Amino acid sequence: MTTAPRPALSAETAAPGGGPRDPRPGAGPAARAARLRPRRRGYEAVSGWLFVAPAVVLFAVMGLYTVGYGFLLSFAQWNGFAAHWTWVGIQNYKDLLWADPRYAPRVQHAALHTLYVMLAVPALTVLVSFPLAVLLNSARRMQTLLRSVYFVPYVTSGIAVFFAWQYILQPDGAINTLLKSVGMGSLSQPQGWLGNPHTALPTMIVVTVWGAVPVAMLMYLTGLQSIDRSVLEAAQLDGAGWWRTNFSVVWPLVRPITAIVVLLNLRDSLQGFQTFLVMTNGGPGDHTNVLGLEAYRLAFLMDLDPTLGLASALGWLLFAAALVIALINLRVLRSRT
Amino acid sequence: MRIPFVGPGAEPSAGSVTGSGRRTRRTRSTALAVVTVLSLAPIAACGGSGGSSGNGKTLEMWTFKQSHVAGLRNAAAAFKKQTGITVKITAYGPDDAYTTKVQAAAKTHDLPDVLEVHSDGEDLALGSTGIAKDISQDVDSSWNGLYQKGVQASGTVTPEMYKESLPADSKDHGVKKGQRFSVPFTSGTFGIVMGNKKVLAAAGITKPPATYEEWLADLKATTAKNPTTGGVSLGLKVKATGMTWTMQPLAFSLLGKDKYHALFGQNASEDFSSADGQKVLSEYAKLQPYWMPGTQILDIDTADQAFAQGKSAWDIGGTFTLAFLQQNGMNPDDVMAFGIPGPAGGAVPKPALGPLALTGLTVTSTSSHSANAEKWMKFLSQPSIASKFAKDATEVPATELGADAAQVMGPTLADMTRTFVGTPENTYDPSDSSFRPPGYDQDSMSEILADLTPLHQKSVAATGKAMAKLNNSFWKLAK
Repeated sequence: MTTAPRPALSAETAAPGGGPRDPRPGAGPAARAARLRPRRRGYEAVSGWLFVAPAVVLFAVMGLYTVGYGFLLSFAQWNGFAAHWTWVGIQNYKDLLWADPRYAPRVQHAALHTLYVMLAVPALTVLVSFPLAVLLNSARRMQTLLRSVYFVPYVTSGIAVFFAWQYILQPDGAINTLLKSVGMGSLSQPQGWLGNPHTALPTMIVVTVWGAVPVAMLMYLTGLQSIDRSVLEAAQLDGAGWWRTNFSVVWPLVRPITAIVVLLNLRDSLQGFQTFLVMTNGGPGDHTNVLGLEAYRLAFLMDLDPTLGLASALGWLLFAAALVIALINLRVLRSRT
Repeated sequence: MRIPFVGPGAEPSAGSVTGSGRRTRRTRSTALAVVTVLSLAPIAACGGSGGSSGNGKTLEMWTFKQSHVAGLRNAAAAFKKQTGITVKITAYGPDDAYTTKVQAAAKTHDLPDVLEVHSDGEDLALGSTGIAKDISQDVDSSWNGLYQKGVQASGTVTPEMYKESLPADSKDHGVKKGQRFSVPFTSGTFGIVMGNKKVLAAAGITKPPATYEEWLADLKATTAKNPTTGGVSLGLKVKATGMTWTMQPLAFSLLGKDKYHALFGQNASEDFSSADGQKVLSEYAKLQPYWMPGTQILDIDTADQAFAQGKSAWDIGGTFTLAFLQQNGMNPDDVMAFGIPGPAGGAVPKPALGPLALTGLTVTSTSSHSANAEKWMKFLSQPSIASKFAKDATEVPATELGADAAQVMGPTLADMTRTFVGTPENTYDPSDSSFRPPGYDQDSMSEILADLTPLHQKSVAATGKAMAKLNNSFWKLAK
């Protein structure tokens, strides 16, 4: 669609033949055009508004309305069906943070687990995806095939994959069987990797990283391919080996990509919960409960308890945390790039 | 793409309406119409279809029990023959998905006419939110008299339930005394242990244990015989199962009714941190070596499936478990069933497990055929229909079947119902929550208990202390 400004419609240019033919006021084509101009502009305006209307309505309904609704709900007690909300002010926030023994301890545990996930997932994702991208970038054969293979976890991620992981991690699952078959049975987990409270959260972190690596690797690969070869050649001429080149030249050059990878994974770690819902539902006990899962539980798994306001309040607390992280990340990006 | 109302040079002069001009205008009008419709679509999508289906000759019913579908469909066929009314049965599961489905349908006005619900919990919550219809005026004594005595009040807002509904954060808040939101459909109890007769026989076990100690000895025998498949499965991913299905009946039989109630009281000398509390937790912790590996990450259905598949020799469930086992290929006659036995030195060595209504039937408030829906519910409560359903679904119906009950339900289910028989003093009543603090959250308590066993993260003393602390905080909050 063209967005170039249209020239103003003048009487001269609008009239065929270049000038007015009918001397009577309001009788010539120019006058007729002048009369029709406001009408046409009205049509144009209406058409324009109608064209953008679907987006505006969607944004208003799905964006502004729900955000405003959710914010108000965080100050109310409601189960989703009762005729009226009960306004409780900031009590929901207080209950979640310290006041109510039903919610505060769970939220505190979930916050701690979420923090572990937020620290581990971005770090491990970078640690795995950057070397993988460097290796893939230097591969001379089958680069496309390898790239597709490494991208498989991303395109197959979903409920089915999480169920598959569950089977793999069971007491009689593939990982324990493999460990036993290679003589490392002492490392196997008799209760399953998700059944032992000490291995459950680390295992969930590994599964999350497995799903996050493909996109991060692809981003690094894009960054690596945009590095000017002369920079790398200059480093090599100066005697830098493979390690030195990657550590001192390539790594600093892809730092903006690292910042994005870290930010995206921080956000996912803070808000994501689907993997946890499907694979552990926060268990065993509450050893893998995370904040996103707790918000979901309060919203939808409380059997019509009036906890939708609490879920909304927790959602806003998560939003505040995400905002702080985004600002910190922005600051880091500004100072380093 | 180029928008049709471009510069004047491309525009025919005003007044001279050419063919292309007409086409342009028509195109524009069509585009405007399409865009208008599109822009209104999200708003239209927010509306619902409104009300339940049919012309009164077709009813819709939803259940969360796949094992009930065949029995209900058979009953529906008989109902159609008698009344000409068709009942369409649909199952949605598991429980969480069903709850979400019902809530979503209520929002979009797509509810069916009849819902099968969890009795004395979900039904009242649905009633308080206006999803379930108050049927107290329609269930007369001739209808209510068809049910077993112990479950006749199920679905009714009793004075005790009304009291519990008064706090604003109660899920039943808003119900009125005497209202009724469901009639019972199936009954039974929790805390039933099932053993695989063949596996048990291989370990030398041929009869149910008489005491908790005997059961522990049996567990030792089966796990010695099969270390990985000789244990007991329980769906501990659903957090409350360890507490409500196992530990509480055990505590009741060990301490007796009053001391069991006192565990949840405010007196520190009697709560979970007390000597009595420690005794109960110590007994419960004795199950630690015998859990099926990984049972803590299984939900109820998958734990039952594990038992049916021979991954465990024992399974803890309820009277409703047998139907699921049968559905998963297990012959009910291969199952040895008994209530969790009491410790030999306990206050109630031979406890009975009180029956309660497990599921009920609710008419939705949006049903435009509520009279027919109630006719269907009453039809299901007739002894002949309930007997047939019991056979088809391997379930204990809420209807009083009289002396023929054992014959109708088969020997294993009859064994289970034998655990119901007891006196008020020796019967553990799972539906009684009058002694607990208002706002009591069993999931949080169960998470602490799970750290004792099977997770083995806390000692008995630490578990008791943590449970007492949480219980006290519920009391404090209630003040």
